[in-house]
Amino acid sequence: MQHKSISLSRRALLSVGGQGLLGMTLPKLLQAEEQSPSADSRPRAKRVIFLFQWGGPSHVDTFDMKPDAPDGYRSLYKPVSASVPGMHVCEHLPRMAQVMHHFAQLRTVHHGMNNHNSAGYTALTGVEPPIDDQRLRESLDLFPGYGSVVDTVAPNTNGMPTYVSYPHQIADGSTTPGQRASFLGKQHDPLFFQDDPNAPDFSLPQLSLPQNLSLDRLSSRRGLQQIINRQTAQLEESAVAQGLNSFYSRSLEMLGSRQIRAAFDLSEEPQVLRDAYGRTTYGQGCLLARRLVEHGVKFVSVYFSRSIGGRSKTDGGWDTHGFDDTRMYEILPEWHLPLTDQTLPTLVQDLSDRGLLDETLVVWMGEFGRTPKINKNVSRDHWPQCYTVLMAGGGVTGGAVYGASDRYGAVPDRDPVTMGDLAATLYHALGIDHTMEVHDNLNRPLPLARGRAISEIFG
Amino acid sequence: MPSFRNEVMPVLSRAGCALGTCHGNQNGKGGFRLSLRGQHPDQDLVTLTRSLGSRRVDLLRPQNSLLLRKPLMDVPHEGGKRFEQTSTEYQTLLTWIAMGMPADSENTPALIGLNVSPEASTLLGSDRQQVLEVVAEYSDGSSRAINHLAVFESSNPAVVVSPDGTVAFAESEFTQQTSVTVRYQQLQAVSTVDHVPKRDGFRFQSPQPNNEIDTLVFSQLQRLRINPSALCDDTVFLRRLYLDLTGRLPTPEQARRFRGSGEPGRRAALIDELLASADFADVQAMRWADLLRVEDKTLDAKGVQIFYHWIREQVASDRPLNEFAAELIAARGSTYSSPPTNFYRALRKPEERAEATAQVFLGIRLQCARCHNHPFDRWTQDDYYGWTGFFSRIDYKILENRRRDSNDKHEFDGEQIVFMKEDGETANPGTGQIAALRFLGNEHPQVTTPIDDSERDRLLILADWFADPTNERFAASQANRIWFQLFGRGIVDPIDDFRSTNPAVNPPLLKLITDKFVAGGMRVRPLMRLILNSAAWQLASDENETNQFDQTLFSHAIPVRLSAEQMVDSISQVIGVTPAFGGQPAGLRAAQLPGVRNGGHRYSAPEIGDRFLRLFGKPDRLQTCECERSTETTLAQTMELVSGEMLSQLLQQQTNRLSALMASDADHRQLIQELWWAALTRAPTEAEVDAMLAHLQSSADLRQALEDIIWALVNSNEFLIRR
Repeated sequence: MQHKSISLSRRALLSVGGQGLLGMTLPKLLQAEEQSPSADSRPRAKRVIFLFQWGGPSHVDTFDMKPDAPDGYRSLYKPVSASVPGMHVCEHLPRMAQVMHHFAQLRTVHHGMNNHNSAGYTALTGVEPPIDDQRLRESLDLFPGYGSVVDTVAPNTNGMPTYVSYPHQIADGSTTPGQRASFLGKQHDPLFFQDDPNAPDFSLPQLSLPQNLSLDRLSSRRGLQQIINRQTAQLEESAVAQGLNSFYSRSLEMLGSRQIRAAFDLSEEPQVLRDAYGRTTYGQGCLLARRLVEHGVKFVSVYFSRSIGGRSKTDGGWDTHGFDDTRMYEILPEWHLPLTDQTLPTLVQDLSDRGLLDETLVVWMGEFGRTPKINKNVSRDHWPQCYTVLMAGGGVTGGAVYGASDRYGAVPDRDPVTMGDLAATLYHALGIDHTMEVHDNLNRPLPLARGRAISEIFG
Repeated sequence: MPSFRNEVMPVLSRAGCALGTCHGNQNGKGGFRLSLRGQHPDQDLVTLTRSLGSRRVDLLRPQNSLLLRKPLMDVPHEGGKRFEQTSTEYQTLLTWIAMGMPADSENTPALIGLNVSPEASTLLGSDRQQVLEVVAEYSDGSSRAINHLAVFESSNPAVVVSPDGTVAFAESEFTQQTSVTVRYQQLQAVSTVDHVPKRDGFRFQSPQPNNEIDTLVFSQLQRLRINPSALCDDTVFLRRLYLDLTGRLPTPEQARRFRGSGEPGRRAALIDELLASADFADVQAMRWADLLRVEDKTLDAKGVQIFYHWIREQVASDRPLNEFAAELIAARGSTYSSPPTNFYRALRKPEERAEATAQVFLGIRLQCARCHNHPFDRWTQDDYYGWTGFFSRIDYKILENRRRDSNDKHEFDGEQIVFMKEDGETANPGTGQIAALRFLGNEHPQVTTPIDDSERDRLLILADWFADPTNERFAASQANRIWFQLFGRGIVDPIDDFRSTNPAVNPPLLKLITDKFVAGGMRVRPLMRLILNSAAWQLASDENETNQFDQTLFSHAIPVRLSAEQMVDSISQVIGVTPAFGGQPAGLRAAQLPGVRNGGHRYSAPEIGDRFLRLFGKPDRLQTCECERSTETTLAQTMELVSGEMLSQLLQQQTNRLSALMASDADHRQLIQELWWAALTRAPTEAEVDAMLAHLQSSADLRQALEDIIWALVNSNEFLIRR
């Protein structure tokens, strides 16, 4: 299987030629072929940083530009050369251009959901919902998010939480499903908070004690509680009592844990590095993600924005329709692109500098791309038929490009990737068998992902 | 010559080819797709003979067909080896391919019946194997043994069934049970098999039976050589009864009065007293409000009040549940002036109405049959859409919608009129045809007599069907729900999953409580009274050697964490102050909240009480399922109890019980006594008194030390767990 796509890539490389947008150069391809399959080329992610770009970034104005497309389709931005020969990215992503050799691109990700909530859910779980409707809302019928699945099938054993998510709960009207554990049970929900990592006094509320409640006082309370518990010895043996007991111990451990406190303590970071990530909620959120994985958290989800946004140059997500007389081409270079260009390269470089990148999979994706045709507002609308997802680290071949869109960026031309494939790839990266089944509330057996892991991008 | 339906398809089923994880997946596997569990044999025949004919089947050299080589693992097969070359499975497929893969002729007999025997059996001691015999009946009047064609599945993963239908139990000191589902073509049959350990010297011992329930529970236990636990003591009885019926704890006065009374009939008297209490109506109303989706976003604040108070009136007067259901089903008119219409206001689509009604009033989970025939039940897509058709003509006249967020299409704020349209049908997407109306749940659904709604509108017909006291499925599902409320587990469990392949754990018991429920006029209180007075309900949670692994037979009480509302109300009661709930008058109990504050609601931050309730599993009321309420324990919950806001605030309030106690002239010992009765319904032990006195003496701040003690009390197992 591994060789098939590589040979396809080579054929495509030769045939596409002039467009010059294909990621892999021939030498790199051959190198990849030589290395594969070796022990090194296997996925080796031990943790994931999942950067969710709510609202839906335009693929054709960022990483899958079509400079040869006709007027009305072609981006108004210019492509610039990236660190991978022959690869181009948007001119407003100059720093990204320099680190593209760390990233693999999946250029043909697609699904059938046109609304934010249904598409968001699909992107956060790898499963399409029964209806494509903005009204889709959280329900125990729906599939859990990736992090909750990981927390269920491969939880941390190092004392750190498995799954942490912040700093927004995303919603379009109703809360977008896919951010929690759903039918897997609340115990697999992420450790979630909405506090701003960019706030000067940022600290995790769950880890802060109310006034006049010291750790000493807590442990003396725990002592009294245990004296009372000892009066009902048989009850203490029950499953529910044992569960409670272990959670009380965990709670006290967490409150007293230097490791956990340290993981969340951004003040330990040098000012220079904090500045490099950007003094924004997203920037400091990404820095926090690095601290968390460094301290042993397995799955970190950072949401770019709370709302789908798209009309503001200072706030919100990527949903740039050009409504209310706004213009996508004016907004992106003021807000989304510089924010991304400051934060994402810093994160990847920082992970790399610390030797963490090799075992940390960074995923950058939205719920869909945007229409290849520019709309009457000189902006773009929703486009789930084909868009680009970035992955770096965790054994991913830097600079690889999997799949190709057509000349407009409208549909997959080659090697289409379903959302089920994407989910399978993510689990594959972590060494989790995606055909493993979980059972929902109706006791239906459901595989973790319905798709095929795109193993070609690993080595 | 093998028949395609009667022999060839069963080979694929037995080999597991058509499961959802393999080729029965909606996308197939490796380019080969079968209908899920072979529900569409005609379609599969086309797949096998046409789409695959050239690729996977070699008619000239049949043994070279991929269809045979893959399951033999002659060539790599992701699904592994499925059968041997020497097997009858292989021979059947080979012969069929060699003969040119013929379809069945018109004369091929069709399957009309499936029986497994024995239907129920009990094995004892070293006798650990039970051979099942499966017989199929065909349309030509013939019948034959088909063990070699059927699929066997054991409900208990620890009990193995061989492909030829032999059930084998592993050696164990404990009673084991399984129900084996036998499938052949479109039919299923079930056999329940128990294995009882020898238990030399076993002597059955049980508390004195109080009523017919005990006779049935205990006789099953005796047969399975399990001794029930002893009756619980008065403290446990008191807490259990108060929590289950009123959602809160007995006050110290109530507890002392009961404990002080030596009267033999005191338990029965207290049961009657609490069943008649207003708190009981609160708890019952809350449970129905959960299932009927009483939440603000769709019903709006006024609708929540109106619907909730209507529900509470019904339960307070112990309205017969068949009438209650019928009134909801027939509801129409303004959601402000005709409260039951809010049932439909919350369920915006015909499918939602159909699924919710089946689930809450018939105990049937129909959801699977929306997209394909139900894999574990007899419901087909025709059943699904025939049932959904009843609800297809409901529509809404939205008189006003002042919703705050025009993007949120779930949100309604303003009056609506629920009415019946003149037309509107549901088509079965499988066939494209309009599905003929049909009822669900009777043993012989009226598939052959189409329901005529030309004279009378279809929902009134359906309401009558629910009101009919002979509607056994309705009665059984509601009786089982009442049982569930008191035991934490149904006789059929999950309670909304009645099907032949999920049989009642004690069928005569289900029959008994159903009959009693019907005899009591389908009212809740008479059946509850019967159950609460049974020895079975009053068993302790302390296990003995024989019942320690039993979770299903009601041989002892199973400890569970208090529900969200029970926690808040019990904590409030002990501390003497209540937390705030959004938009509600101060002092309201959590069990009295009409609606639910959705944590995701974005207009204002949820109040401290609402946050706590959500964290501890109060349902959002977006589903019609008991399963939406969670009694799981999570780290976030204990974090909240250890360092969270609510408990901390209540403890520190200057108007709480602590302040009152400190202002009294009670000494430390008396304070401790008082707190123990309030929190644990008992006096403290000497060890507890000593430890608490020591804590009080060693602390510089008396108030803080007392706060610590109350914290320890409300975080103790005894407080947090209903046992």
